[in-house]
Amino acid sequence: MRLEKCWFCSSTVYPGHGIQFVRNDAKIFRFCRSKCHKNFKMKRNPRKVKWTKAYRRLHGKDMTQDSTFEFERKRNRPERYDRNVTENTLKAIKKIDKIRVDREERHIAKRMKGNKAKEQREATKELEQSIHMVKAPSVLFKEPSLTLPTKVKVLQKQSEENRMEE
Amino acid sequence: MGGKCPHRSVKKRRYSHKQFRRAKFLVKGDDAVYDELLKPEEQRKELPVDEDLPGMGQYYCMHCDRYFANVTVRDEHFKTKKHRKRVKIMMGPRPHTQLDADLAAGMGMPDNGPKLMSMS
Repeated sequence: MRLEKCWFCSSTVYPGHGIQFVRNDAKIFRFCRSKCHKNFKMKRNPRKVKWTKAYRRLHGKDMTQDSTFEFERKRNRPERYDRNVTENTLKAIKKIDKIRVDREERHIAKRMKGNKAKEQREATKELEQSIHMVKAPSVLFKEPSLTLPTKVKVLQKQSEENRMEE
Repeated sequence: MGGKCPHRSVKKRRYSHKQFRRAKFLVKGDDAVYDELLKPEEQRKELPVDEDLPGMGQYYCMHCDRYFANVTVRDEHFKTKKHRKRVKIMMGPRPHTQLDADLAAGMGMPDNGPKLMSMS
């Protein structure tokens, strides 16, 4: 039994799922769900649709070159059944999958590495540029026009309650 | 919905517009057109005379997979925005295929075993 990949989004199509389209030149198009089939019928290009694997690969969102990709492939030749080989393969699948998941995680961590520093930089810049909008708390008490009237009342009540508890 | 056959009870789609039917099932797929365009000039066959097609099937636009009644109409078509957009797509990268989808899913190239002809 073969688990084919969806033509549009490259996810695995399990038996009993999805739909298959055979064009009049005998080319087969498999789709994992109606979403992908509809997108195909609309003649969308998977390379330009952001949620497909093809897009993510092309734009460096996912890991592209890795030795773990060499294991899963379409093998168009018959293999003689061997119990030992099958057992070893089943064992190896788990190991390889773990390695692959770890590498993918590392790839994403690497990709997101600069984000925190960038956010920090942007925040600092915003703070510097618009510090004049921040008022000191003592100013707010002096000028009631700067705050909403209801909000002031609530704040006062809360502070009173806090004192009572203490 | 103009691609359906005309029916008297439905006022909106009284006529069957060829434009809509073409988009539905008449036109060739992108990859087929792309492969056809990649072929060198000499390999392309002469257009066969077909009396069912417009202009006996002699005036053909390869990019858009359309037949025209005569030369002037075809040349007019070459100037349209639709045609120029289509040419741009066809000049670009190869259309998406199942192999691309498999590779993007994290599969390797298909393993077809050793070539039988090379062994002998």
